[in-house]
Amino acid sequence: MNIPKLVVKNITRRKGRFVFTLLGITVGIASFVTLLSLGGGLKKEIRKQASELGANLVVTPKGWCAYEQVSVLTGEQLPEAIPFETVLKIAAIKGLTAVPYLTERTAYKNNPVSVIGILPEEMKRFKNWEMEQGKYFSAQDERALVIGSGIAGQFKLKPGDELTIRGEKFPVSGVLKETGGKDDIAVYLPLSVAQKLYGVGEMVSFIAIKVDDIAKIDAYILQIQETANVAVVSDKQLLRSVLSIVGTVSMTLQLIAAVAVLAAAFGIINTMMTAVSERKREIGILQAIGAPQGTIFSLFFLESGFYGLLGGVFGVVGGLFFSLFASPYISQNEFTTLIKGSDLAGALDARIVLGSIIFSVVVSLVSGVYPAWKAARMTPVEAISYE
Amino acid sequence: MNDAIIRTENLHKTYTTGKITTHALRGVSLEIPRSSFTAIVGRSGHGKSTLMHLIGGLDRPTGGTIFLAGEEINRLSNSRLAALRARKIGFVFQFFNLLSSLTAEENVATAMMFAGAPEKRQSERARELLSLVGLLDKLKAKPSELSGGQQQRVAIARALANDPEILLMDEPTGNLDSESEAEVLDTVFRLHREGKTVVIVTHNNEIARRAERIIKVKDGRITGNE
Repeated sequence: MNIPKLVVKNITRRKGRFVFTLLGITVGIASFVTLLSLGGGLKKEIRKQASELGANLVVTPKGWCAYEQVSVLTGEQLPEAIPFETVLKIAAIKGLTAVPYLTERTAYKNNPVSVIGILPEEMKRFKNWEMEQGKYFSAQDERALVIGSGIAGQFKLKPGDELTIRGEKFPVSGVLKETGGKDDIAVYLPLSVAQKLYGVGEMVSFIAIKVDDIAKIDAYILQIQETANVAVVSDKQLLRSVLSIVGTVSMTLQLIAAVAVLAAAFGIINTMMTAVSERKREIGILQAIGAPQGTIFSLFFLESGFYGLLGGVFGVVGGLFFSLFASPYISQNEFTTLIKGSDLAGALDARIVLGSIIFSVVVSLVSGVYPAWKAARMTPVEAISYE
Repeated sequence: MNDAIIRTENLHKTYTTGKITTHALRGVSLEIPRSSFTAIVGRSGHGKSTLMHLIGGLDRPTGGTIFLAGEEINRLSNSRLAALRARKIGFVFQFFNLLSSLTAEENVATAMMFAGAPEKRQSERARELLSLVGLLDKLKAKPSELSGGQQQRVAIARALANDPEILLMDEPTGNLDSESEAEVLDTVFRLHREGKTVVIVTHNNEIARRAERIIKVKDGRITGNE
């Protein structure tokens, strides 16, 4: 006989209680892992979107809120508030390239679709777009559409097909090569055509800017602000403010998960307290045959920790399965990249896996302290005389 | 008497429950010789079990001293006292002596674990002892699968696990039918013949008659010592 064997014998003697207590901590840890990897995946996704934007600076109207900044990255509809002449003024500054975006929405076959008005030539150079099928815009005011490969796949569209936007029919001229990002799921049309279609006059939503010399970025920001009455954020600031929102959201989610784990911890305390009072007599026997107080403490302490270890392992596996299952709906997350076997993602995941198991064990051990202490401080006679 | 393995001097024990103070022992001095068979008798609630708990180091006296094999045990720390219980004393109680989640063999082995025996030795010795009490065929049986007499014999085997000098028994047959009682007593008397010091708290006249010495306890005092 040894202590771990004795712990396992004790923990499994009440099968039902064992299973339900274990389920509590398993569910808590599983939700913790899912939300943790979801939050991580969301941040990764945002970083990817930001790098795809391909801009060092983003010019927005003054007073945009954080949500609108997020929309720059996610391609939601945005208010159109910058006059086109501002675009021209900024584009005239030496050492930078400026491209305007007019982001609108339409519905196609009951699905929302991003419609983006662009300057065809400037945008193509800015993004290094290539064509998959058909041809790109041939004139600045051509009444035609170029669509992302995702849209083409989703709605089975090819060059020559027609699409109706706001009641007007447009021919699809070409399909872009897959970029792996938001560019794939938008419909593009020349800026002037889009402005007329949506009736927004000469306005655009925001301007993306690439600078030639990244070291002088602060000087560019000043210069743009002198030229026009606009707000300028660098991609890093934008990323930071967006990530802080995402961070708040995932922090909130993790807090909720932490509450689930906390509730499970009380479940463990409850189970262990019941075990201590149920086994009072046995504690006395153990003391009579020579178990010191420290051993009595460790028996219950380790029993509690065992719940944490098992619950942690099952919880991580459960969280992994759930993340996998849910991944098509919540974009790419860390667990799905683990499956693909990327080294960097693997390292990141090992941290979540190990961290969650350790978290589970620590929470369970802490839950075990009070019951174990109660057991250990019982005097042998008090325990023996209990019937 | 130099040969006393257990000696107490003016032992007192009072319990306080709420506002009520109970004097369980009021000055008990006794000597129990090595290898003797002593029965402690007396009515319920007069302090027999308390006396046994104090001698066995399961409880601490309110006053007085206890010597066990020459060592003053009421001065020992809790952990030293636990070690002493593991090596020098074997306990058998009236009810529910065994750990219910363990087999007979494991129950015996657990007692050896606390004395620091390696696992291989534990299981060898457990088999040896269970065969000594006639339960070699019940090694893997859980307590719930054993009769009352068999359970008590496993408890005796466990009490012997670390080859203690003293066996302390609190009504070991109090809960048994006469057939089981005979089985258990045969084992106890045999152990005594082999040199163990046996102290047994009992109501049973048969045991008292066969004991070498009888200590009568009444109202927390010794009223007879024969």
